[in-house]
Amino acid sequence: MKVIEIRDLHKIYKASDIEVHAVNCVNLDFQEAEFAAIVGPSGSGKTTLLNLLGGLDMPTSGQILIDGTDLSMLKSSALIDFRMRNIGFVFQSYNLIPVLTAKENIEFIMSLQKWIKKEREERSFELLKAIGLSDRTNSRPAKLSGGQQQRVAVARALASRPKFVLADEPTANLDSKSASTLLEIMEKLNHEEKITFIFSTHDPRVMKMARRVITLEDGKVVSDDVRE
Amino acid sequence: MIIQIAWKNIWRNKTRSLIVISSVAVGVFAGVFAMAAINSSVVQRIDAAVNEELSHIQVNSREFRSSSDIQDLIPGFNEADSALKSLPGVKTTTGRIIIRGIASTSAKSSGVEINGIDVEKEKEMFTLNNKVIPGTGSYFGSDTKFNSVLIGEKLAKDLNIIRYILTPEAVARLDSLKIPSRVLSKLETISGERFTSDKKFNSELEKLLTSDETGKYAIHIKEAAWSYREGAKLILTFLDMDNNQTGAGFRVCGIFRTNNDMFEGMSVFVPARELRALTGMKEETWHRIIARLDNDDLTDKITEPARKALPDLEVLNWKEISPDLAMIADFMGQIYAVFMVIILAALAFGIVNTMLMAVLERTKELGMLGAIGMNRKKIFSMIMYESIFMSVVGGFAGMGIAEAVIAATQKNGINLIKYSEGMEAFGYSAHLFPTIDAGFFVSTTILIVLTGILASIYPARKALKLNPVEAIRTE
Repeated sequence: MKVIEIRDLHKIYKASDIEVHAVNCVNLDFQEAEFAAIVGPSGSGKTTLLNLLGGLDMPTSGQILIDGTDLSMLKSSALIDFRMRNIGFVFQSYNLIPVLTAKENIEFIMSLQKWIKKEREERSFELLKAIGLSDRTNSRPAKLSGGQQQRVAVARALASRPKFVLADEPTANLDSKSASTLLEIMEKLNHEEKITFIFSTHDPRVMKMARRVITLEDGKVVSDDVRE
Repeated sequence: MIIQIAWKNIWRNKTRSLIVISSVAVGVFAGVFAMAAINSSVVQRIDAAVNEELSHIQVNSREFRSSSDIQDLIPGFNEADSALKSLPGVKTTTGRIIIRGIASTSAKSSGVEINGIDVEKEKEMFTLNNKVIPGTGSYFGSDTKFNSVLIGEKLAKDLNIIRYILTPEAVARLDSLKIPSRVLSKLETISGERFTSDKKFNSELEKLLTSDETGKYAIHIKEAAWSYREGAKLILTFLDMDNNQTGAGFRVCGIFRTNNDMFEGMSVFVPARELRALTGMKEETWHRIIARLDNDDLTDKITEPARKALPDLEVLNWKEISPDLAMIADFMGQIYAVFMVIILAALAFGIVNTMLMAVLERTKELGMLGAIGMNRKKIFSMIMYESIFMSVVGGFAGMGIAEAVIAATQKNGINLIKYSEGMEAFGYSAHLFPTIDAGFFVSTTILIVLTGILASIYPARKALKLNPVEAIRTE
C-alpha cells in the first residue's frame, strides 16, 4: 500500500540572483513498512527532500500525497495538525524536551493528540521496553547518553503510530556501538509496527541495513535500489 | 502537559528565574508596603478628624459658619435634633455652643474657639476624652471643679502653661534611658532653669549639644523636661448674647494631645452649662448639632436626606467641612494608580527581557516542537504560562512579604518622630500603623496576572515567528 507519492517535485532556493535547484523533478513512491535510506553527497538535496516530505518546507512545484492528501493543499495550522498525526521525526541531535523525563518525552505527542492517560502509559511502557530503556523511565535527557537519547527520540516518533518516520542523519552523532543498537531497534520496530522509515544518511551502516537506497545528486534521483 | 512543561521550563535556569522572581517580589513588596504606609497616614488622619474633631455631620444655621455670631443659634433645636436622629444610620447627636474668643494667661494670649459641650454625650461621640495627657488632669471627671477648661497641648505651650525644666527627676529618667553621661554633663548648665517655650528650649539644646546628639537625644530630653503648670489658670474672653464683652477665669482641668497642631491650638472645651451662665444663652439653645453615624461609609448617603429633613439649616458632612481631607482621600486612588503603574511597568520589563532571552536560547527546541506538531496556539500558551508563572510567583511572594511586614509593623507602628513637627503641623501622625484593605491585594493580584499576560505577548509572538526548519538548524 502506498503511503507517500511524490510527483514532479521541485524546490528552488533563490539567494539574490542565484537560483539553487535543491530538489529537481523527483518522482518517488514509498510503500507501507519500507525501511529506506536517502543518500548522496553533501548538498545533494537529502535534507531538503526530507523537509518537504515532512511538510516543514513547501515545494516550488510538484505534489506530495500522503495517503492521498496533498500536503500543499493544507493550510498552515492544518499542516501542523497533519504532521502531528501522520509523521514521526527523528533529528540528528536528538532534540528531546530537556525538562521532561524519557517517559514524558515519549508520551508528549500522544498528549497533544489527547490520548487517555492509561493508553499513553501502556504505549510508552511498551516502547521503553522495545528500546531497552525500561530502567530509565524517569531519567531526563541530560542523564542519558547520546545513544539512549536517540532511542527515546525514535520511541517518541513512533509513539502515536504515525504513517511514516523521517530520520535526518539519526546516527551522525553516535559512536558505532550506539549506532548499531539504534539501527537494530529501528529495524525491529519497523517490522513489528509496520511503520515506514525514511532516513537521510551518510552512514554506511544505515545504507547496509536499509532495504531500499535512493541516491540523490544535485537534487535528482540518480538511483533507486530496492533490496530483498 | 503544556502547563507542566511551562512550569518546568522556568526552573531550567534557576538563577535567572530566581533573580526575576525576587525582583518582582521586592518591587511588589516595596510598592504595597509604601502604599500601606501612605494609606495609614491618611486613614489615621481621617479617623482622627472624624473621631476627635468633626464627627460625620454638622448642622448649624445658614449664617453661622461665616458670621460666627453668638446669636446665630439653631432655631427649633429640639425639632431639628429629633428630625436628624430619626434618619436611619444616625447613631447619636449632640449640641454644641461655639463661641469665638481669646484665651490669655499672664504671659500670652491666643485666639480660640470655645466649645460648650454636653460632656456625657461628647464622651460617647468623640475619643478626645482618651487623649488627655496623663498627669495633666482629666476630661471633666466627677472631681472637676466649676469653671474648668480642657485645652490642647499646642495652646498650653503657646500660653506658657507647659514649659521645660530639667529637674533632678528628669535627669534621673534620662539616665535610666541610657542617655550617655557626656550628654547629661553638658545639660548640667541648664539644670533647674525654666524654658517657657519649645523654641527657647530647642535653641538651648542646640547650643549645648552637637547636631548629632541633638538629633538622637533631643526628643527624650524634651519628653523628660516637659512639665505642666498644675492648676494653671487662663482667662477666656468673649461676647455674650447682648454683645457685651464678658469673660471668666478658668482652671485647666486637662490637656489633650492629638496629631493636629491646629486643632490643639484653637479648640478649648467647657461644659455648656458654664458658658450658658456666662453668656446668658437659654437652655436647649445651641449653635450646632453634631451627628455620629453608624459607620463612616454612610456619610455621603445620609447627607442628602439630612438636608431634605432640615431645609432651613446648613447641613455639611466632614468631607465638605474639610475638603482638603476629602481630596486626600480621593487622591489616594490616584496615588494607588501611580504606584501600581510603576510596579507593574518594572515587572513587565523584567518579564519581557527574561522571556526574550528564554525564547532566544530555546530557538532550536521551539523549532523542534513546531516540527513534531505542537501547534502555534500551544507554543504561544506555553510561553505565556511561563511569564504568568514568574509574575504570579514573584507577585504573590512580594504580597506575602508585604502582608507579613504590615502585620509586624501594625502592632508597634513605624515611628517617624524625627519628622513629627512637620507632620503634626498638618494634622498627620508621625507614628504610622501601616494598613491596607483586602481590595488592594485582590486588585494587585489581578493586575499582576494581567501584566504577566501582556508582558508575555511580545516574546510569545517572537516564538511563533520561528521557522521550524531554520530553528532546528540553530546551534
